[in-house]
Amino acid sequence: MISPRTLRNLRSELSRSLLAKLGIAILAVILFIALFAPLLAPHDPTEQDLDNTNIPPLGFTATENQTTSEMVDGEVKIVEKQVVVNTTAEHPLGTDSLGRDVLSRTMFGARTSLLVGLFGTAIAVVLGVTVGITAGYYGGRIDDALMRFADVMLAFPSLVLAIALIGLWGQASLRLPDPLVASGIASQTMPESIVLPGTVIAVVALVNWVWFARVARGEALSVRDQEYVKAARSMGGSDLHVILKHVLPNSLTPILVLATIQIAAIILLESSLSFLGFSGAQLSWGFDIAQGRQYLSSSWWIATVPGLAIVAAVVGINLIGDWLRDALDPGIEGQGGAS
Amino acid sequence: MSRDDSDVNRRTYLTYVGGTAAAVGLAGCSGDGGDGSDGGDGSDGGDGGDGSDGGDGSDGEDGEQLPEPETREEHLQRANLRLNQRAPWVFLNRQYSVYGIASRLDWTARRDERIEAQAISVTEGEPSVTITQSSMDSGLDPHDHRETPTDNIVVQAHDGVLGRNADGDIIEGLATDYERLEEGRVRFEIRDGVTFHNGDELQPSDIAYSVNRVVDSEVGIESPQSDQLAGVTGAEVVDGGVEVTSDGVNPIVFSLFASYCKVVQQDWIESRDSSEINSDMNGTGPFQVVEYEQDVEIVYEPYEDYWGDAPEIEELTIRAASESSTRVSQLLAGETDLIVNVPPQEVSRVRDEDTTEVTAVPSTRVIFNAMRYDVEPFSSPEFRQAMNYAIDLNSIIESILQGFADPTGQPTLEGFVGDNQDVEPYPQDVEQAEQLVEDSGHAGAEITLETPVGRYLRDVEIAQAVASQINELSNVSCEVEQRDFASLAGEVTSGNIEDMPHFYLLGWGNTTFDASQTIIPLLTSDGALSSYREDEEVDELMADSQNLPGGN
Amino acid sequence: MALGRFLLKRGIQGVLVVWGVVTAVFLLRFITPGNPVTFVAPLDAGQELRAQIAAELGLDQPLYVQYADYIVGLLQGDMGYSYLRGTEASTIVLARVPATVELAVAATVVAIVIAIPLGVISATRRREPADYGATLFSLVGISTPNFWLGIMLILVLSVQFDLFPTSRRPIGLFETVTFLVTVDNGIAAPMNVGAFLAGLRTWLWHIALPAVTLGTYFTALVTRLTRSGMIEELGQPYVRAARAKGLPESLIQYKHALQNTLIPIVTVLGLQLGTLIGGAVITEAVFSWPGLGTLVIDSINVRDWPLIQGSLIVIGTGFVLINIFVDALYAYLNPRVVH
Repeated sequence: MISPRTLRNLRSELSRSLLAKLGIAILAVILFIALFAPLLAPHDPTEQDLDNTNIPPLGFTATENQTTSEMVDGEVKIVEKQVVVNTTAEHPLGTDSLGRDVLSRTMFGARTSLLVGLFGTAIAVVLGVTVGITAGYYGGRIDDALMRFADVMLAFPSLVLAIALIGLWGQASLRLPDPLVASGIASQTMPESIVLPGTVIAVVALVNWVWFARVARGEALSVRDQEYVKAARSMGGSDLHVILKHVLPNSLTPILVLATIQIAAIILLESSLSFLGFSGAQLSWGFDIAQGRQYLSSSWWIATVPGLAIVAAVVGINLIGDWLRDALDPGIEGQGGAS
Repeated sequence: MSRDDSDVNRRTYLTYVGGTAAAVGLAGCSGDGGDGSDGGDGSDGGDGGDGSDGGDGSDGEDGEQLPEPETREEHLQRANLRLNQRAPWVFLNRQYSVYGIASRLDWTARRDERIEAQAISVTEGEPSVTITQSSMDSGLDPHDHRETPTDNIVVQAHDGVLGRNADGDIIEGLATDYERLEEGRVRFEIRDGVTFHNGDELQPSDIAYSVNRVVDSEVGIESPQSDQLAGVTGAEVVDGGVEVTSDGVNPIVFSLFASYCKVVQQDWIESRDSSEINSDMNGTGPFQVVEYEQDVEIVYEPYEDYWGDAPEIEELTIRAASESSTRVSQLLAGETDLIVNVPPQEVSRVRDEDTTEVTAVPSTRVIFNAMRYDVEPFSSPEFRQAMNYAIDLNSIIESILQGFADPTGQPTLEGFVGDNQDVEPYPQDVEQAEQLVEDSGHAGAEITLETPVGRYLRDVEIAQAVASQINELSNVSCEVEQRDFASLAGEVTSGNIEDMPHFYLLGWGNTTFDASQTIIPLLTSDGALSSYREDEEVDELMADSQNLPGGN
Repeated sequence: MALGRFLLKRGIQGVLVVWGVVTAVFLLRFITPGNPVTFVAPLDAGQELRAQIAAELGLDQPLYVQYADYIVGLLQGDMGYSYLRGTEASTIVLARVPATVELAVAATVVAIVIAIPLGVISATRRREPADYGATLFSLVGISTPNFWLGIMLILVLSVQFDLFPTSRRPIGLFETVTFLVTVDNGIAAPMNVGAFLAGLRTWLWHIALPAVTLGTYFTALVTRLTRSGMIEELGQPYVRAARAKGLPESLIQYKHALQNTLIPIVTVLGLQLGTLIGGAVITEAVFSWPGLGTLVIDSINVRDWPLIQGSLIVIGTGFVLINIFVDALYAYLNPRVVH
C-alpha cells in the first residue's frame, strides 16, 4: 500500500528536517512513558499522603504561608504561620493538594491522552472513511444526503457537541487490567487497571469523523472516473472489491496525514473535556490541570506540569504531521478541528 | 442563656402538655418583639444539662437502658445518638463560609450563608459596594428558586415575616409580634407603615398571599420552597393580622418563617407574567433594584422609605465569577469588595494584602457521604460503621480544608436544637473497621463513591481522600465517580429510593438551626431525599418531636 | 449574475443545513435517556407541573406533530420556556449572542493582525532566526490548550503584574456605540464622544486577554498558512517574471503573492469557525465572559433543556451563515469557483 516512492519521500524529508526528528523523538519518549508508566513512575499516582501536600518541585522556593483556622470563643480565628516545605528527591516534580506525586500522575496521564487520541481517531477514521467513500463512489442522492448530514455535524463545534452529548448521556468508562501489573513485572502497588473513558472516546469520534468523510469523499470522487477504475468495474468487479482494491488505497495518504493532525486535536479536546469536568477521567492531564488551577497562586506546579506535558505531546504529534504532509503532499492543510 | 432558664421553660411547658392538648402560648414561642428570640433558647439548649442525661448511659450500650426522652430536644438528641450509632452516613464535616472582604468595609459574616448588604458599613472611600458570588440568580422570583446565590440577590430587596441576626437568633421582620394560638395555628401582627418599592403600603393580605404562594401550588406558581415551610398548610387574614395554619403542632414554625418565605405584593405579582416577575423585584426591603442584567449583574440603591434602619451604602452591585481564583484576583485588584467562598489555599494571599481581609464563620451546611440502607453492602450497620472508622476525618480537615471545617459525628450541627453533645466524631481505627467489615459479611466489597464536581468546597478532593482511606482497608475497595451536580441531585431528589446512587457525597444546608430540618428530609422513612428508611426508632422519635413544642 | 446564482444556491443549501441543525437538536431529546418532561421541568418540580409541561410540550401527540409545532414555534422566534429561569429561552439566548460575537471577532482580528505579517516575514526570511521564531511560536500556539493559556495569562498579567482585569465584560461594544447615536424620544441627543471613548477603552481593556487566549490558536494557524502559501507563491513563475521586470520586491510580496495566499486562508478560517466557537466555550468559562459558551455549559449543568436547544441552534445557524459569507468572499476573491 505504501509505495517505495512514498517511503523515499518520507526518508528524504526526514533527513532534511530537524523538526521532524524532534517530533519523532518527543512522541517516542511520550509513548515509551505511557507504555511503561507502571515501571517508570516513582509512586502510585493515586497514592495520597495528606501529611505531604503541595510540596514544590526540586529547586523551587521552599517556604510558604500556611493558614489554619481554629475556633476561639465561637469566633473563627485564622492563624498564619510560615512553614518550611522541604522539597524532596522523592517527589522531583512535587506533590499535589492530596500529596500525590505530580511526576507519576503526569506519566500515567499520558496514557489517558494517548488512548483517547488513538482510539478516538481510529473510530473516526473508520466511520468517516466509510461514509466518505460511499458518498464519493456512488455519488448522486446518496452523496448529497451524506454530505448534507456532514454539514449539519460540522455546524456544531466539536467541543460544544461533545459537552452536550456527554452531559446528557453521562460518562461510562471501561477498566482494562494493566498487563504490566497483572503479570507481576511492575510493582503490585501500581493501579491495577487502565481506565478507558468510553463515552469520551465515542463522542470525540462522533464529532470528528466528518473531516475524514470529506477527505475520503474527495479522493473517491477523483478516482471514480479514472480509466483503471472504470475498467475494473466493467470487468465485473463488485463495488466492494473495487473500493477496497482501488479507491481505498488512494485515500490512504491524505487520511494518514489528517489522522495525525486529528490525534493532536483530540488530545486537546479530551483535555478540555476533563478540564470542564465532563470526561470522568481522574488520571488525566486535563483533570490535573482543572484540579491544580485552584492552587495556581500558591502551588503553580500542580497545573503547570501537566499543561507542559500536553503542549509537548501535541507539539510532537504536530511536528510529525508536518513531516508527513510535507513528504506526502496530500493538500489538506488546515483541516481538522482542535480547541 | 443560663441553664436554669431553659429548665424552667421546659418544666412550665411540661405542665402545659400534661394539662391540655390545645395549649396556648407554648414555651419559647410567645413573641413580643425582639425578645421573640428567646425561642433561641433552643439553640443554646444543647449546652444545657437536659441532653446529657439521655447521653450518659449511652456509650457503647444499647438504647434500652436510656430513660425515655421527654422534651422535644431530648427526642432530637436521642435521634442523633441513634443515627450516630447506626451510621447511615459517613459523617464528614461542617463547612465554613469563608469570605474575602475589602478592609474598608465592616461586616460580620453570618452563619446562614446570607449576605445582607444592609449590615455592611463603609469606613473609607466610596459608599458603594460590590459583592461577587459564585453565580448569579436563576431568575428574581423570590419563591421560585432553591439556591443561596439567588437568595442573596433576593434578600436585599425582600423582607421576611421574621428575620435572624448574624448569630442565627430570631428577630422581628414584617411581623412585630407572633404567638401560637392553638395547635397548628399561629398569628402574626403586621408592622404598620411598611411600603413596597412601588410606594404601595404592605397589606396583611400580601403576607398571606406570599405564604400561600409558597405552600399552595394552586396559588401562583408551584414553588420549590414548599418544604422550607414544612407542615404549613396556608395563611389567611384575620382581624388585621395573619394567621398561619399547620399540620400538627409544627414546633419550629417561627424558625421556618425567620429563615424562609420572602414577602411579595399580591397585586404586583398577579398583574405580571412570569418573565417580568423574574426580571424585577418589588419588595419591602432596604434596597431597590436600579438595573438588572441577567447573568451579569444587578445594581441596587437604598429604598428611601424603608421601615428599618437605612443602609449605609449608597450603591450595591452583585456580580458573579464561578472560578474562586478569579474572585480572589478581582478582590485583590480592587474590582470588588466582598467575595464568597475563598478557598483555603488562597486565604493567605488575601490576608497578605493590606487592603483586604478574610473573615470566616461556621456555616449551617453539613457535608456527608450517604449510604443507601436498602442495598448491599450498605444495608449492614456494621459495614456502615466500618466506613466511618476507616476515615481519618481530622487529617482530611487539616490537609484538604486547612482547618476551615469542623468534624461531625451526627447529622445535626453543634449549636442546633437537638445537637447531642455526647456524640463524638468517629475516630480513625483501621483494625476495628476491618473487623466490622468482616463481621458484616461483606469482606471484599467493591464500592463506588459518587461525588459532585465543584459544588462544595473541595468536594472532589474530599471524596478522593475518603475513597483512598477506605481503600486502605484490606477487605474493601473503593473508587470515586465524578458526577455533574444536576444529574446527581436529580437522582437524589426523585423521590424514589431506587433512583438514588448507593454511596454519594452531598452537602445539606439547614438555616433553621433545628435538627428536624436535616433529619426528617434526609434520614426518616418519609423524607423526600432520604437514603435511610425503616428505622422505627428514628421515625418515632422524629414524629413525636414534631408534636412537641420546643423549637424556635 | 453568475455570482448571484452561486449565492442563491449556497443560500438554499444553507437553509437546508439549518433545517438539519434544528432537526438534530429536536431529536437530541429523544436519543437522550429519560423522560423528556424531566429535561424541561426543574429538578424539584412536582407532579402537577410535570403534567402541565407534558401537555404544553404536546408529548401525547405523535412525534411529527411535536416536530411541526417545534418548527412553527422557532419560526416565530419561540425556543420554548425555561422553567428554571422563568423566562422565554429566546430572550436569554439572544442576549448572549453579542458577547460571543465580540469575542470571536476580536480573536479573529488579533489573529489576522499578528499572523499575516508574521507569516510573510517568516516566508521571506526563510531559515533565518525570524523564521524559526515564527515557526516555533505557531507550533506552540497550535498545541497549547487555551484553557491553560487563559489561566497562565491571568496568573501572570492580571495577578502578578496587574496589567489587565481578570475577567468580566462590564460593557458591550454595542452599548458604547449607543453613546454616539442616542435617540431620546425620537430626537437625536448630542453625541457623547467622551463616554464613547471611555466605554471603548473599558471594553478593549476587558476583552484583551480573552481575545488573545482565543485568538492564539488562530494566530498560529494563520501564520502557518500564510508562510506556506507565501513560499509557494513566491516560487511561482509570475513572481520570477515580475522580479525580472524589476518590480520592487515589497510590491511583489504584498500585492501579488499575499493576495493569492489569502484565498486558502479565508477558506480554512471559514472551516475552522467551529473550532473558534468551541474554543470560545472554554475561554468564556475561564474569563467569566457572558456568552453563548458559558450559557451552554451552565444550561447543561442544570439540564435547562430549552436553553441547551436554543443555544445549540443559534450556534449552528451562526456557523452556517458565516460559512455562506465566507463562500461569498471566496467567490469574490477567486471568481473561478463560481463556474
